[in-house]
Formats: sequence, C-alpha cells, structure tokens
Amino acid sequence: MEEFSIREISKNNIFVLHLDGYLDAHTSTELEKAFDKLINEKKYKIIVNFEKLSYISSAGLGVFMAFIETVRNNKGDIKLCAMSDKIFNIFDMLGFPVLFDIAKEESTAISNFN
Amino acid sequence: MNGLKEIVIHSSTKNLAILRDYLEKELVIDGISQTITNQIILAVDEACTNIIKHAHKYDNSKIITLKYEKYPEQFKINIQYEGNTFDPTIVNNPDMVEYFSKYKVGGLGIPLIKKFMSKIEYTHINPNINSLTLFKDLY
Repeated sequence: MEEFSIREISKNNIFVLHLDGYLDAHTSTELEKAFDKLINEKKYKIIVNFEKLSYISSAGLGVFMAFIETVRNNKGDIKLCAMSDKIFNIFDMLGFPVLFDIAKEESTAISNFN
Repeated sequence: MNGLKEIVIHSSTKNLAILRDYLEKELVIDGISQTITNQIILAVDEACTNIIKHAHKYDNSKIITLKYEKYPEQFKINIQYEGNTFDPTIVNNPDMVEYFSKYKVGGLGIPLIKKFMSKIEYTHINPNINSLTLFKDLY
C-alpha cells in the first residue's frame, strides 16, 4: 500500500513539492511540516506538484488553507499543478480554484510566478 | 457483494488507508464504477475522520463499525460509533466566499459528504451510540 512522501526541488528560488501517495488525516501532518520548514526558511514561492498524488481528503485541503495567508502576506504564493481529474474534482467541488492558482503543468505554475 | 457485510476498525487515522483500500476492492469487484467508488470512499473517509477526531478524540481503543450492502440501484453504508450526540445532517455548509476571504481551516468534511452522497441519515441509538448511514444512488 502506497503511503505518502514529499520530494522538494528548488528551481530558481521557487520551491516545488512533489507529492506521492495519499494525503489524508494521517499523512497531512507531513505536508504541514514541509510547509513549516519552507516558511521558517523564508521560502515563500511554493509550487505543489500533484502528479503522483493518488488521493486527497479534506484534511489535505486544510493544509493549504492553513498556510496560504502567511505565504501571500510575505509576497509569495502556493501554486498547485499537475492534478489528476480525480484530485482536481475535489478542489473544484469546494471552489478552491477561486483562491488557488491551479495549473495543468508545472511549467505553467513556474511561469505564473515570473 | 451479496448481503450485508461488516468491517470494524480501531479509531485511528492510520486505519483510514486500510479501510479505503478494502472498500475499493469490495466496490469495484461488485461492479460499481470507479467514479462512484471514489465518491463513496471519500465520504466514508471524511465520516470516519470526523469520528476519530471529534467523537473519539484520537482514542484508538475505541472502534468504528461499518456495515454495508449493495442494492441494485443503491449502495448503503452504516457507520456506528460511541460518542456524544452530533448530527452532521443539520450542519450548514460553510459560505465558501467567507471561508476563502477569511482563510478558514477545516470544516470541509461534512460538505464533501453531502456533495457526494445521495442521502445521509443520523440517529442516536442509545445514550452513547451513534448511527450514521450514507446512501449513494448507483444510476
């Protein structure tokens, strides 16, 4: 059974978190820690790549809501990208595209920062 | 899947993935579409997460009992758990305009259950047992 892992890659002062596995009430604390670390290091230009994420529940959505204000107050953003239809549907059902920039591809998310 | 089936889990978030995987196998084997399977799994996950977090306060000595059955045009799953009375069917969905403008966190589990399930029923069986039933139309 897949679990959850995060791989962080830096691209010209933009920090991309690649999520792998499932993001639920059990694994969401790992994503919280990853965001905490980035913010503590004053890294506010963040992209989250969902290409390898197979599942998300509202606990996962809550992590993004918990950090977006702080990041934007520091002139940064959390941009989301590469979601499968299944994952995007959850975000879309609750209206998240209103608040979050969600791109089909990581390259687009990077461009949107520049 | 023929007749009523039951699964019992200890109230721990680490069991959510096990539960999801188990239900997915059951639902797909029984011919329920992947889209509807995903919706049922998410709703059950959200319901159990709320139970673990709010009713059981992460006490993994407590248990959650799920009984489910597929009818020709409907899937039904009943979730029973110990805890104080809390009726999720009367909880209003958040105003998402306000939710986003105030950067609120949490409280999206019940709205997701309501969006994906055809019907939700809640009863308080005796002083300490709750019964939450989720119904999903299969057509």
